[in-house]
Formats: sequence, structure tokens, C-alpha cells
Amino acid sequence: MNSLNDGLKAEAITVVLVEDDAPTLWRLQDALAKAGYQVRAAGTLAEARACLAEGAPRVLLTDLQLPDGHGVDLIRETRQRFPDTEIMVISILGDEESVISAITVGATGYLLKDAFPTDIAATVRDLVAGHSPISASIARFIVRRTQNTPEPPPGPALNTAKLTPREIDILWGIAKGFSYAEIASHLGLSRQTVPGHIKNIYRKLEVHTRGEAVFEAVQQGLIKL
Amino acid sequence: MPGRCLPRFTNGVEVTVNGVVILDSRRDPAANRPDRNTAQIAVIPASVLHDGANNVSIKLFIWGPITGFLDRIWVGPDELLRPSYNLRTLIFVTLPVVFSSWQAILAVILGIMWVMRRHEPAYGVLAAAMAVGVGQAFLQTPMGETPFSRLNVILISSAPIESGLVLTFALLFSGWKWQRYGWIIFIPGVLLALAGLFGSQAMVRALFLYLAVPMVGLSLLIIAVVTARSMLKRRNVASLLLGCAVTIMLTCWVVDLLSVFQMMPNRIFTARLSYSAMLVAIGAGLTWRFARALNEVDGFASRLVTQVREAEEKLKASFAREEERARAAALARERTRLMRDLHDGLGGQLVSIVALSERGNGSAPIGDAARAALKDLRLVIDSMDDIGGDLMLALGSWRERAMAQLRPHDIALDWRAVTPQGLPVHPELRPWHVIQIVRLLDEAVTNAVKHANARRVTVRIETLAGADGLDRGCITVEDDGKGFEIAPDGVAAGAIKAARGLRNMRSRAARCGAELELSSCAQGTDQGTRVRLTLPHRFPDSDGAAG
Repeated sequence: MNSLNDGLKAEAITVVLVEDDAPTLWRLQDALAKAGYQVRAAGTLAEARACLAEGAPRVLLTDLQLPDGHGVDLIRETRQRFPDTEIMVISILGDEESVISAITVGATGYLLKDAFPTDIAATVRDLVAGHSPISASIARFIVRRTQNTPEPPPGPALNTAKLTPREIDILWGIAKGFSYAEIASHLGLSRQTVPGHIKNIYRKLEVHTRGEAVFEAVQQGLIKL
Repeated sequence: MPGRCLPRFTNGVEVTVNGVVILDSRRDPAANRPDRNTAQIAVIPASVLHDGANNVSIKLFIWGPITGFLDRIWVGPDELLRPSYNLRTLIFVTLPVVFSSWQAILAVILGIMWVMRRHEPAYGVLAAAMAVGVGQAFLQTPMGETPFSRLNVILISSAPIESGLVLTFALLFSGWKWQRYGWIIFIPGVLLALAGLFGSQAMVRALFLYLAVPMVGLSLLIIAVVTARSMLKRRNVASLLLGCAVTIMLTCWVVDLLSVFQMMPNRIFTARLSYSAMLVAIGAGLTWRFARALNEVDGFASRLVTQVREAEEKLKASFAREEERARAAALARERTRLMRDLHDGLGGQLVSIVALSERGNGSAPIGDAARAALKDLRLVIDSMDDIGGDLMLALGSWRERAMAQLRPHDIALDWRAVTPQGLPVHPELRPWHVIQIVRLLDEAVTNAVKHANARRVTVRIETLAGADGLDRGCITVEDDGKGFEIAPDGVAAGAIKAARGLRNMRSRAARCGAELELSSCAQGTDQGTRVRLTLPHRFPDSDGAAG
């Protein structure tokens, strides 16, 4: 563990942490700093933009409800300016409402605000390693959007048209609580490829531009021109 | 007293005994119909007889166009001749009257039928034919020139009109559509009527033989062909009956023709009698159609009842589906609203408590409580989600929460879905069932963390085929902790707190109709506690243990 931490320190992984609730901000900052990440903290959208102006961080962790704006805007901007930055949303409940809206603008994971310090560090480490975390309830939400229902269930809009049947199968496995190893063996995949698939799923759910959003809405028949 | 019988004759006969006329058939209108084969009996009064040779002369009147005919003459006492005479009268006079009465009834029935069902003109036509036939049978031959005598002539010689009407009926009945040229069927009948109105009697008689008789034959022939075709095509009883009747009539018509041309030894006209076969066929056919229509009505009614019931069931099902969908949508909206509220309010505050408790010293219990509250919040929100009766989806989220709970204690979670599909799908599963089951499982895991000092918790998920052929889901939570003694009443003998936890688990299982099996072992290789939850085949609709 120490040698790993040293390695991380050596590479100086930069994290921009945006959270308006002070106790939560300290807590997350502590957990990440102890794990050896170089953390720049911000309490508002303006402070966050100032942090980002200093240069591209490796990871952006942001809350959604900010005093001077919405975290979704920050995620979208960061995604456009720094395509290599990994973005994760900090969520209280890990609910689809906050997580999915973050995913559609470019986030590739979520972090629960009350997660234990070790879990916080591990989640960020996995993210940097290319493993996007996904919860059973988020997987369930996405999978349900792939099914044709007469009226879309409430919640944020989501375009699942690009997902392949294999990706939908993986999401089903996650929704039902199967581990990556179990899913891999059920679907005849290598265990190591499952996290990559999940990152792909997130990328496919992302709506890159306003124009693309309109294009996709037309493709799905949501808008008639 | 000797009598004398003259069975049949054409056209008229006068019997004179010693110059005294005792019988002149021309005065009897019924005897003037050659088609009726009327027999006559002449009673010779004793007063006209005298001893010695008596002179009996029979004068035969013939007014053409058919040749005269006189059957064998019988002479004898009345008691010998009377039975024979009565029999002939019964067959050739009384019976046709009975048939004609039947024909009159048919005319009325068919008339009513046509009035009630105007779109079936075939019945109207047949009613007209029957009425014409009745007129023919009951009208008397005119004895002299009266204002109505000519009308009588027309009606009596209306056989071609009658046969034309019957032919029209047969054509309509077999599905032919009335055409304008159909009127040619009635030309012979109209010609004969005109002759009856303006021409002489001799002319009418001649026309009747040369126009009406072939017309009747031709009509019968066409009807025979039409009914045969209809019979082959539709295979119905009515056509068969009509066909039989027409065959009989056609045969009789040929026989009569042969009689007229004196090719038969005896002259008995059978056409009028054979017409009764047609009447019987029409009556039977009508009854058959009526019965079949009744059957069809019955069948239609029962089919309608079945269809209505089916449609009702479909409607009910779709209504229930719609209601279910509306309920699910309302639940989803409510969940979204609740989620936003909790996210913005309670959730954020609980997170702050967790964060603050970690900073201060000695406030770890507060942090744990806040964390437990957050966990419960997530459970409530999660269980409100529509999982379509698949409990595996709820267990998926529970696994994540359980792992997060066990990780800081360095307890491994071994998750085994033994059967590939996991648990059976329960469409009747409601959020409150999910909450009870997940809280029960939470309780088992919490016991393993707090009281058992376990290193490993194993969760087994399987579907068991029951003895009654019904599948039941089974979830087992097992730890390798220190275990405890279970008192005979199934309640843990140890700590009061643990006992309360176990009681809670039992009550939760009972509410969902699930069976809970607890086993614990304090020593040996099997050391640990096992909680085995067998789900019901069908979850109860209402909270059974709420009271």
C-alpha cells in the first residue's frame, strides 16, 4: 500500500474537488490527501473555474448543487476543455437523478458523500486506472431505458440507442448484483474487459453537443422536424 | 232399389231411363271439372221402371278439345255400389278440398311471412301462388252468363299463372335475382286470362290445353332443374323436399298427358292430386327453415354471450394493466419527488453529520447512526423503484450497501447465486415486501458484524423446486462468527438486544409470508449463524402481521 502511495505521489495525481458543504469538503479532501493525491479544493462554481484555469487536473470530483450554479455545467465545460480529465460526480444518495445527468454531460462515475475514506481513495484510484464505478441502481435505470415503454419513466432523459446487446447484458448483470467475474463468465468475456465495457457505456450515454443532442432526438423519433 | 254408378267421364253425361232424365252431370258444377275425376251415382226411382225391358240410355257430351271418355259402367243395388262411390268421392272430391284448405292456410302463413320480411319477396310470390290455387279449387264452373261468370273462368283457368308464380318462387328461392325479362313467365297466364275475359268458352278450353298444360309442364321442368342445382350446391333439406315434390308432380303431369292422348288404358287425372305433394313440401320446408332459424338464433345468442364475456375479460385485463401502469408511474413520480427532497434536505444534513463526527473525537457512534440513517434512506428510495417483480434487482443494490458496510470491518462478502436466474420473478411484489426482506437481510449482516466477530459472510441465492411443484426463492445469510445458543422457543438465549433483533427478523418474514429458519452453532467446524429465508410462492397482498 505504501509503495503504491509513493508511486501515486511521484506521479502527482491532481484532483480538483468541488463541494460547497464545508465538513464534507474537508472530509473528502482529507481522505484523498492521505492517499497521496494532490487536491485543489473549491466551494463554488467560480472557485472551481479558477482552479481549472491553472491547468488540467487528472481528476475532477464535483457536487451538483453549488451556491452559484450547477455542477453539470462545470462537468460539461471540463469535458470539452480537457478531454483527458476523469470526471466523477459526488452524490449523496447515488441516485439516478444526479448520477445520470452527470453522465450525460461527460462524468464517468460517482462517489457517495458518506463513503469511507479508504473507499474514496480506492474509487479515485480505480477511475484513474480506467475502471468506472457503476452501481446496481444506475445500471438498472439505464437498462430500463433500453426497454421500449409507451411513456418514458420519470427522471433525466437518456439516449440508450447506441448500446450494444452485450453492453445491455453486462448492465443486467450489474443490476442483479453479480460481480464482474460472474458477469464475465456468464457472457464468455475476460474479467478484465468488463470495466472497459462500463466506461464505453458511459461514453455512449454522453451527449456531446447541443447539436448532437438534437440529432439523437431526431434519430430516436423524439423530435419531428 | 237398384242404383247405377258412372265412375268417370269426359266431359258431361246424361242418363235417361225410359225417356226420363235421372242425371245430368252438366248441372253439377263440381262434376264439370274434367281434372277432378268426379264420380256420379244416378239413382233410378222405381216409378220409372216397368216390367219387361227398360230402356236405359247414356248420352256423353263432349266439348273438346280433349276427347270424350266414359269409364266402365256399374249397375246394381245401391248397397253394393255405394261404398265404391263413397271411396271415389273421398279420394277425388273430399281429399282435394282438404288440401285446398291447407293451401289456404299456407297462403295466409306465407302472406304474413312476406309482410314481416319484405326483403324476401319469394314468400310473397309463393303466397300469391297459394291464393290463386285456393281460388281455382273453390270456385265453381259458370253455369250460365252472369256478371261474374267470366271472372270465374279466368280464375279457374289460372293454372299457368299459378305455375308461373311457383316457378318465380323456386327461382328466387334458389338465389336468382328478379330480372325484367322475368315477366315472360306470366305471358301464357295473361293470354289465357284475356281469352277468358273476351273470348268464347271453347276458345278458353282450347287455349288451356295448348297453352296452359305445356306451360305447367315447362314450369315443373325448370323448377326441377333449379331445385336440383340448388340441392347440389346448398345441400339443404328445403331444396330436397321441393325437388321430391316437383318430381312427383312432373311424373303425374306426364301420366295425365298420356291419358289425354289416350295412351293410357284408364283415364285418371292425377296432376291436381299430386299438387298436394308440393303443398306438403312447402309446409315442411317452411317448418324446417323456421326451426333452423330458431337454432341459429340460439347459437348466435350463445356465441354472443361468449364473445361478450371474452371481450369483458379482455377489457378487465387491459384495465387492470392500465391501472397497474398508472400506479407504477405514480409511484415513480413520487419516488423522484421524494428523492429530490431527500437529496436537497435530509440527505445532505446526514452527510454533514457523518463528516463532522469524523473530525471530532469520541463522536463515532453519532457518525455510525448518521451513516445508518443514510443507508436506510437509500434502501427506502431504492425499494420504491419499479423492479418489475425481480427481487434480484433489489438484492443487487443491497449487495453494494452490504459490501460498503462490511469493508471497514474487514469482513468478506461471499455472494453466490446458485441457480442461474437467481430468484423467481414475482409480479405481485410490492415495495413494502422489498423493504421487509432487505431489512431482514440487513439485520442478519449487522448481527454478523456486531455480535459474531465473523470474518466472512456468505449469501446464497437459489430457487428451490418445492414438493408441490411450485418454485420458491431461498436466500441464506451465513457467517463464520461465534454463534449463540438458541432457546427451545427459537429465541436467542443470550443478549436481550440480539433477541430483539431475531424477533424483528421473524416478524418481517411473517409479514411477507416467508419462512425464516435460524440455526447457530457456538463450537466446531460448523461454527457460526445461518439465517435461511424461504420466500412464498406468492407474496401476500396485505400486510398479514400488521395487527
